[in-house]
Amino acid sequence: MNNINNKTGGNYPSRRSFLKVAGAGAAALASPAFIRSAFAATPIRVGIISPLTGAWTVYGKAHLSGFQLAVDEINAAGGVLGRKMELVIGDSKTEPRIVVEQANRLIRQERVDFLAGTFSSAERNAAGPVVKAADKILLYPTFYEGQEKKYAPGVCNSNIFMFGPEPTQQVWPHLEYMTKKFGKKLFMIGSDYAWPRVTNEVTKQKLKELGGEVVGEVYIPFNTPQYESVLRDIRGSGANIIFHSLTGSDTVNFRQQFAAAGMQKDFVIWTVDDEEVVTSGLGPKVSANAYVSFDYFMSIDTPNNKSFLQKFKAKFGQDALMNTVGVGMYNAAHMAAMAIAKAGDVSTKSLRTNLKGLTFDKAPQGTITMRELDNQAIVPSYLMKVRDNWTGVNDMFEKVQSLDRAIPLDARCNLPL
Amino acid sequence: MQIAISVGIDAALITFSLALAAFGLAIIYGLVGVINLGHGAMLTLGAYLSWYAVESGAPFFAAVLFAAVGVGLIGVVFEHLVIRHFYHRPFDTLLLTWGFFLISTEVIKIVFGTSFRNVPSPFPSAIHTSFYDFPAYKTFVACVTIVLLLATAFVLLKTSIGIKIRALIQNREMAGLLGLNIAATYKMVFGFGCAMAGLAGALLAPMLSIDPYIGNVFLIRSFFVVIVGGIGQILGGTLLGSFFIGGSETILALVSSQVVAQVAVFFIAILILRFRPQGLLGEK
Repeated sequence: MNNINNKTGGNYPSRRSFLKVAGAGAAALASPAFIRSAFAATPIRVGIISPLTGAWTVYGKAHLSGFQLAVDEINAAGGVLGRKMELVIGDSKTEPRIVVEQANRLIRQERVDFLAGTFSSAERNAAGPVVKAADKILLYPTFYEGQEKKYAPGVCNSNIFMFGPEPTQQVWPHLEYMTKKFGKKLFMIGSDYAWPRVTNEVTKQKLKELGGEVVGEVYIPFNTPQYESVLRDIRGSGANIIFHSLTGSDTVNFRQQFAAAGMQKDFVIWTVDDEEVVTSGLGPKVSANAYVSFDYFMSIDTPNNKSFLQKFKAKFGQDALMNTVGVGMYNAAHMAAMAIAKAGDVSTKSLRTNLKGLTFDKAPQGTITMRELDNQAIVPSYLMKVRDNWTGVNDMFEKVQSLDRAIPLDARCNLPL
Repeated sequence: MQIAISVGIDAALITFSLALAAFGLAIIYGLVGVINLGHGAMLTLGAYLSWYAVESGAPFFAAVLFAAVGVGLIGVVFEHLVIRHFYHRPFDTLLLTWGFFLISTEVIKIVFGTSFRNVPSPFPSAIHTSFYDFPAYKTFVACVTIVLLLATAFVLLKTSIGIKIRALIQNREMAGLLGLNIAATYKMVFGFGCAMAGLAGALLAPMLSIDPYIGNVFLIRSFFVVIVGGIGQILGGTLLGSFFIGGSETILALVSSQVVAQVAVFFIAILILRFRPQGLLGEK
């Protein structure tokens, strides 16, 4: 089997042109068996776990479409090793419990070659033990809290590759600018789970170095509709910057009420969660003048991003939203395909070996590298400001500063992974 | 003192907006005895309908009215096709309305998509006074709630429709024997409850994110409001329940974290129900 694959991969251009002729001339005559043997193999099956229903439905679309777009491009170019990539999609329903079910189903029943997706850290942590036990690779696209040994096997897991930025990439590069410009007192507000808590812990380390202080820190349970008491705490805290890691609808609820309380003029908001989808949900008035940091924004002005968005909009419509997570999925698909092509097969071992150290220079946000040591992508880092009276994703963000390669701290794991 | 006043105002604002959210549920549960698990979906529908109307260029208040009437009509149709056959089986209505929630959530996703939507607030700023900045829109919503509760009280206690409804609750058979059109009255009350849910969804929309699950944020809280206040205690019960579930949270958050405050509120609610299973204002 491997031999055939290798041969197909090696002869790839001529084989493809042969297929074209065969396809055009004899499509009706060709028996299915003939086509199969011409492709030399069954498709590469990829299991996708996306939040298509439940609390984080709003992110699900970009999450899934990033991977779909990449797979379309790969298949249009003839697939990998002459094999098409095929997606098997599982809905996480935004519940870690369902992630475990879906991961097991995709691996055992659908027999996928590897997995991509899961959205929140809680979802990834649920998938961690499953992919470890089954020894399958999981490509994780989301910005997250970084790898600490105590959260293994959700992180520090040699089966998981991280394509999104962690706090030392997403927050640290911009902390000096923000504290110099606005003051050194931060009020931290986040949703009550692992990602905001650990992100804040990591942020505090750097903040301390810079001589800043945290004057308030609150964590909000999911689906909290009312924020009066929090707004009161913020008002009385003397903070300069509100460091914001609320997620999903809670973000929108909080910010609407923050604006309604007339507090926008008194505090600067710096959010590490509100990408295109959430900022669209906030609307121009409520989101105006907030600072946002990520590895990717739809509005970044690079040739890569331009051609990426063109393809994305052609497939999913002019109004479709893309974000850091969707781009993480896009990069994950392409880098997996590159690793498979390099290895010549799709076993977990070769995928792992070949993903490590791989560089992808067609990523929408620039050039990204999968670090060999800890399976963490080195990505760019942007600090943006939300424009006044923006009308859509194209004029939503204004660049404040950026870094082409934000090098993260080494993962706090037993290295190398 | 300053803090006491501002906490008091915050608590009052939360109490009224929660009372608004729970009002439709209190009517349907309290008057016709249907355990409406579709209440959250009706709030969501109200929010989406008002968003849709605003996007189409309607002024905000017309959009709110459109949402209330729209959800009320949907409720009447749902009642006519399904619910009216199950008034004597309350537990079954629980499953039916849950089904309504599941179906309408999916329909919302198909029709309106899954992205966040937002309705711009008609009064975006705050009213500045020497001691407190009132969020203008929230204050407005609180006033609407008060008017709504008073108007409903007037209808229930002072008009012939109110007498008919109360007669129906007290003794369905006797009311029927005396010539009251039971089916029509039930339909009217159910439809009114749904319209109130739609109205609440539309009025709360500018304070919240609009996504297909927005109403669920209020579903559990609304049930607690109704049960803690006392089933059938539509006015006082709803207000008192809202204070215990919403207002007390902001007071507790003064001395503890948000998480502890939210847990404590539900703990208090369970304690109340342990010692007053009929609710604070309910009669045995």
